[in-house]
Amino acid sequence: MSAIEIKQLTKVYRTHFGLKAKPTLDSLDLTIEDNEVFGFLGKNGAGKTTTIKILCGLIKQTRGSATIHGQSVRDRESRSQIGYLPENPYFYEYLTPKETIQFYGKLEEQSPKERARQWGYLSELLDLRSIADQRVRGFSKGMRQRLGFAVALVSNPSVLILDEPMSGLDPMGRHRIRDIILRMRSEKKTVFFSSHILGDVEQICDRVGMLVDGKLRTQGSLSELLSRKVDKVELIARSLSESTHKEIENLAIQIRTSGEGVHFYLENMDTANEAARKVYEGSGELLEMTPIKETLEDFFVREQNPQEVEA
Amino acid sequence: MKMLAIASNTYREAIRDKIMYVLLFFAGATILASKALGYISVGQDMKIIMDISLAAISLFGALIAIFVGTNLVYKEVDKRTIYTILSRPIHRYEFILGKYLGLAFLILTVTAIMAVFSAGYIMTMGGEISFMYVEAVVLIYFKLLLVTAFSVLMSSVASPILGAIVVISTYLAGHATGILVDLPPHFDGTFLKAAMEFTYHLLPNLSNFDIWQEYANGVAVPHSYVLWTMTYGLIYTTVLLFIASIAFQDKDV
Repeated sequence: MSAIEIKQLTKVYRTHFGLKAKPTLDSLDLTIEDNEVFGFLGKNGAGKTTTIKILCGLIKQTRGSATIHGQSVRDRESRSQIGYLPENPYFYEYLTPKETIQFYGKLEEQSPKERARQWGYLSELLDLRSIADQRVRGFSKGMRQRLGFAVALVSNPSVLILDEPMSGLDPMGRHRIRDIILRMRSEKKTVFFSSHILGDVEQICDRVGMLVDGKLRTQGSLSELLSRKVDKVELIARSLSESTHKEIENLAIQIRTSGEGVHFYLENMDTANEAARKVYEGSGELLEMTPIKETLEDFFVREQNPQEVEA
Repeated sequence: MKMLAIASNTYREAIRDKIMYVLLFFAGATILASKALGYISVGQDMKIIMDISLAAISLFGALIAIFVGTNLVYKEVDKRTIYTILSRPIHRYEFILGKYLGLAFLILTVTAIMAVFSAGYIMTMGGEISFMYVEAVVLIYFKLLLVTAFSVLMSSVASPILGAIVVISTYLAGHATGILVDLPPHFDGTFLKAAMEFTYHLLPNLSNFDIWQEYANGVAVPHSYVLWTMTYGLIYTTVLLFIASIAFQDKDV
């Protein structure tokens, strides 16, 4: 049984006069398998948060269905299987992290012993010990995000639904969240998360799906989606004579200079090899030759605006 | 347990609300100022102190219930603290009732503080605190429970400002329901008369809960009246909370 199964999911928000607006989410079909890390991509307003809110029972779909391990998201019990981290999580400002975890433990009807055990595990996992007794008021974005992650894990859910878990974090914070997501996968949990930080998505996701204007544009593994052919080759060289520089420049499609040397961008490996030969023949110094493949960011831009990219 | 966790958290949150302390201060000041009005009414000073003290408990208790209550659910949605609560296996009615219980307990605390302060003042001024004083305070509390339920209902469907306007209007109308059925005879059989009667039955009759004037004037009120009024208040409160739960059931947050 799939961890999350979404069929023809549609959400239309009504305007103030009761008139139907354009669907925010339009006939979304998506399946997330068990123990999968799935990246949910799309521009702001594409419908990512709407999908997540439907999965978490916060809003009701207009049409279609969604299930968590076979249980409809309209069924309250489906929520005992999920842990949700909202975008920019907010908590009661007057509570400390320890009290916050206790509060959510009570909502999960955990015994005092279970709550104490969960606090021990989560405070260790998310490094909350040093701030255990500080009020949430005044917490930095990173501290709130760690606490939010801990709150999502209070019930030890099998499916984690994370809305922009890395947004606004510094590199260390993002690294920490990435590590936790990977650890969750190693603990056989399913992770469904939306993100704008495409580099992170590329590093940790098994599969991605992309929403454009409320519709699923594409989904699949990164190897399926990204063009594996070499887009261009970057060659970095220095100590080039003027004539060698001129010869390689004639082969290159693009050129730039940095403190390291001259970066030549060549169309394919054959041209790159020819350029490398010229560097050696001209007694220049070849520092690096790297084939550049399509990144998730290139793919994202291509899928969002195919006509623009083609033009 | 879930409901109690929400209730205790709501209590902790509401007790930090600055508006409550401002209103409590004014309630205390009004009770103390009742002595000044007593001077104006020759020979009636104790009656005036008792009357105004209990009226202050009722009025400021209601203002606290309205201003804190109409913000209660709205604030959770506005500050998005509700996301991590309703995304758990919890019934929405448990959330509404938990919020209500937390505020009801706060109102109990506030009413008790004002009642003890007022009783102390009355005794200092040479008055007596009888069992009827306790009954009058209990009925005020039951009225406040009803007002709190209506505030929570409005908070789950409307903004705090709109909610406060509706609840305050209903509160004022609820104290003057008699006017609605006291139309001159030439209105008999008219649509207006029928509409007024319908409104009379729809609105809570809040003046039923006010027995402080009888207490101040030494007029006995049967215990059965107090019990019936408490029952009336509980039924009305239950209906309001039921409507609030239904209204919140499928609301997008």
